[in-house]
Amino acid sequence: MENNLQQQIIDATQSVFDTMLMLTVTPGETLADKVYHFNDSISGMLGFSGDVQGMLTIHCPQAVAFDITGQLLGIEVESMDEDVKDTIGEMANMILGGIKDAFLERGIDISLAIPTVMAGRSYRVKTVDYASWITVPFHLDGGELLVELKLKTLD
Amino acid sequence: MELQKHITDATTEIFETMIMLNITAGDPVLEKINNFKCSVSGVIGLAGTCKGILAIHLPDKVAMSITGSFLGMEVTEVDDDVTDAIGELANMVAGNIKMILDEAGKNVTLSIPSCVYGDEYTLDTAADCERVVIPFNIESGQFLVELQVKN
Repeated sequence: MENNLQQQIIDATQSVFDTMLMLTVTPGETLADKVYHFNDSISGMLGFSGDVQGMLTIHCPQAVAFDITGQLLGIEVESMDEDVKDTIGEMANMILGGIKDAFLERGIDISLAIPTVMAGRSYRVKTVDYASWITVPFHLDGGELLVELKLKTLD
Repeated sequence: MELQKHITDATTEIFETMIMLNITAGDPVLEKINNFKCSVSGVIGLAGTCKGILAIHLPDKVAMSITGSFLGMEVTEVDDDVTDAIGELANMVAGNIKMILDEAGKNVTLSIPSCVYGDEYTLDTAADCERVVIPFNIESGQFLVELQVKN
């Protein structure tokens, strides 16, 4: 199951970067440790429920978020403005949309909430202990981003 | 107007029955509040026929005092107890709001709660939403309960 989840995260993330951003991202090894603490970063978080309950979160250093937003909108981005927040929220939405489709092929139906975007100089994100947690890093030209999937129940 | 009443009813009930603290609801906050300093935010998604998020924003001090009341012990830092308690608080308030919305003919399901905290962070919703923020006063200070529902 865990391998499956990892592959679904990779497929969905690469597909979004390929089709929306025309950027190549390379997945790294799934992280062994949970990452809680973020500095000068932005995180897009999206909850889901249905046959399984969980959260998908993407974490980007500011510079990476600016690159992604600039690439998507074809503009120069220099500050953490609404464009960046909207882009990172929408990225979370699209990646989870891909994972939702993959779940559905296996008969698991989920419904998505709306994305929330956190940003700041120093913040931490935690979730309840009973959730299983998988984090895949992705490398792109400007740096690295993390895609994290937390699930309450696995069938 | 309806969302305001849902938030007030749900939050008041949870505090009275689960945390045994008296709270007083204030008038809805009209200006946009998205910047938090030394605070803890519990966030949970609403999915189903009514999509949205519920968030509870508390200054560190208020989060610690609520956790202390909830667990019956003294809390002096924002540790795992606090983040668990505030995540669970968001879960309980959202659970109550879910019941109210279900009775009104919606079919709402909840995601798992998350807890965001830190010295300085912003929290925004990236969707076209109806948004209501209600401040609540308790002895140790004030906290905000925010409900956003997609139109």
